[in-house]
Amino acid sequence: MIDIKNLKVNVDEKQIIKGLNLKINKGEVHAIMGPNGSGKSTLSYALSGKDGYEADGEIIYNGENILNYNTEERAQKGIFLAFQYPTEIPGVFTNNFLRTSLNAIKRAKGEKEINAVEFLNLIKEKSLKLKIDKEMLSRPLNVGFSGGEKKRNEILQMSLLEPNFIVMDETDSGLDIDALKIVSNGVNAMRSNERSFLIITHYQRLLNYIKPDFVHVFSDGKIVKSGDWKLALELENDGYAKFVN
Amino acid sequence: MNDIEKLKNHFEDFKNSKLINSENVKSRIEAFERFCKKGIPNLKQEHWKYSPLSKDLIQFEDLKFSSNQNDDFDDCYLEKFDHYKVLVKNGIFIGGDIKKEGLEISKYKKDHFYEIKSNQILDFNNAFFTPGFEIRVDSNFNVQKPIVIYNFFSKDFNGNNINNKNYIFLDTNAKVEIFEKNIFEDESYLFFTKNLDIELESNSRLIKYYLNSTNKNKTIYNFIRSKLKKNSQFEKFNFSHNVNSCRDEIISDLNGENSYVSLNNIQHLSKKCFHEIKWEVNHNEPNTKSSQFVKSALHDESVAAFQGKIFVDSKAQKTDGYQLSRALLLSDNSKFLSKPELEIYADDVKCSHGSSSGSIDDDSIFYLRSRGINEQDAKKMMIEGFLAEVINKIKNNEIRNIFYNKLNEINKV
Repeated sequence: MIDIKNLKVNVDEKQIIKGLNLKINKGEVHAIMGPNGSGKSTLSYALSGKDGYEADGEIIYNGENILNYNTEERAQKGIFLAFQYPTEIPGVFTNNFLRTSLNAIKRAKGEKEINAVEFLNLIKEKSLKLKIDKEMLSRPLNVGFSGGEKKRNEILQMSLLEPNFIVMDETDSGLDIDALKIVSNGVNAMRSNERSFLIITHYQRLLNYIKPDFVHVFSDGKIVKSGDWKLALELENDGYAKFVN
Repeated sequence: MNDIEKLKNHFEDFKNSKLINSENVKSRIEAFERFCKKGIPNLKQEHWKYSPLSKDLIQFEDLKFSSNQNDDFDDCYLEKFDHYKVLVKNGIFIGGDIKKEGLEISKYKKDHFYEIKSNQILDFNNAFFTPGFEIRVDSNFNVQKPIVIYNFFSKDFNGNNINNKNYIFLDTNAKVEIFEKNIFEDESYLFFTKNLDIELESNSRLIKYYLNSTNKNKTIYNFIRSKLKKNSQFEKFNFSHNVNSCRDEIISDLNGENSYVSLNNIQHLSKKCFHEIKWEVNHNEPNTKSSQFVKSALHDESVAAFQGKIFVDSKAQKTDGYQLSRALLLSDNSKFLSKPELEIYADDVKCSHGSSSGSIDDDSIFYLRSRGINEQDAKKMMIEGFLAEVINKIKNNEIRNIFYNKLNEINKV
């Protein structure tokens, strides 16, 4: 699915990611854990092609290097980033945004665009599962949403757009236990042999609900240790200190 | 227009034309003399400092007035919803007379004019005006459907200067909504001044919408003076889109307790368009409330200016005055000029103002793009969302849709 080779990322001429190698096969869930400031969020932005994140190396996605694709092209090819802090956009209504986004992706794939009625039926079905009420969808995007609502909205977008490769940046931050369960159920429902996940997190807590196939410790812009999900438990007990210079 | 001798000849011709009746010639002469004394607006005068008029009027070296050839008006300009139609063609009221119980619409017939010292264009308007509309709503009458005023500028018009006067009077507890739009049939040069006086008796409510959309080579000056009595309400929504050169000036006097004025304006400009807003709200009595809300989206080399003033008289305790202006600068060459003014003589008041200008938020654009929406569409969504905040405040569905459609239409370009 995705093969990251010797990825280096500079922001404002400072190197943050310093030669990352990571291969994620179809259907796998990988978790990246690391302390504050290790470059985790930089990695998520670099994978999405954010302006100002100068990347060198290779990101091979479904057989092609996507490094030269811009943000929307990557999204249209099925890469999705669930934001740590979803942006509040006053004046842009959630419903309208969701339909515009879905149709942009359908158009890029050469599929037929969805009309207003079809969209309403689809969104009703999807939002019910995530306990999102209609009222929230008629509000401006993320404006005045609680932390939990914002994250549920991210998962709703994920389930609507049906991407192939999903990067989740600190999705558990700001969630209470109930919201964490709803979000995790949403993610687990999307796990399939055709879809891969990269979960970025500080804590092992989220990984109790979304069980990863592999766990990597990230420090100073590189992976310093890899293992299976038990590594997460080890980190929770011992902290990052022994992996960090 | 800066050659006074030429203007004097012009005024003589105007006096002798069939455009005026003899009754108010004296006050026209006085007004013209005042104008001559003050001269055309220039950048050195505080009142006209940020105004496109200070730059533009010089190009109208030879003024030429003209009268209507006919009363023709193409039905394609008509709004589709049920409304009272008022037609003002090239500055002159020509149709829509109504005289029924509660509502009277007619040609402007007032003959008393006032002076504002710093405003010589009002003097000019007083001297050269032709009659626009006059709307009167009787007490306790709620006009059930909106009045639509079509300001139609036809291509067969021979002149380059139009000035008109209009009047709205709402008696006690009367209510009405008025939508006004400009229709320009061609791109010829025109200097147009419009004066509208509004008087609201106690408990009355006027909501006025104004769509001033896309023109070339027009220089427009709109001057509104509104006077509000006890418990009356005046709400105004302006949509100024790609107006070549325009100043919208409003003075609103809150002369009765619990009166309320709300002024809202969208400015969406591109190329070298220049739009200026100059508002002055005078809180003259206690417990009065006002709101000024301006959103500007500026492309290319466009310029927008906002001067909003809140004046609070010493006896106007418990005043609540609010003012907010936000501008999106969408090119390195666009400009937004802002001058908020608060002049407060009472001590128990709540007044706030804010003004900001900046480019589109990069993080918001990134968020939209990360969902597959291309950069250009993401920007359009942001601009639309930004401006729609003003439109969302409109409660009338038909008018709100007109404004929304205009927004969609301009955002598609």
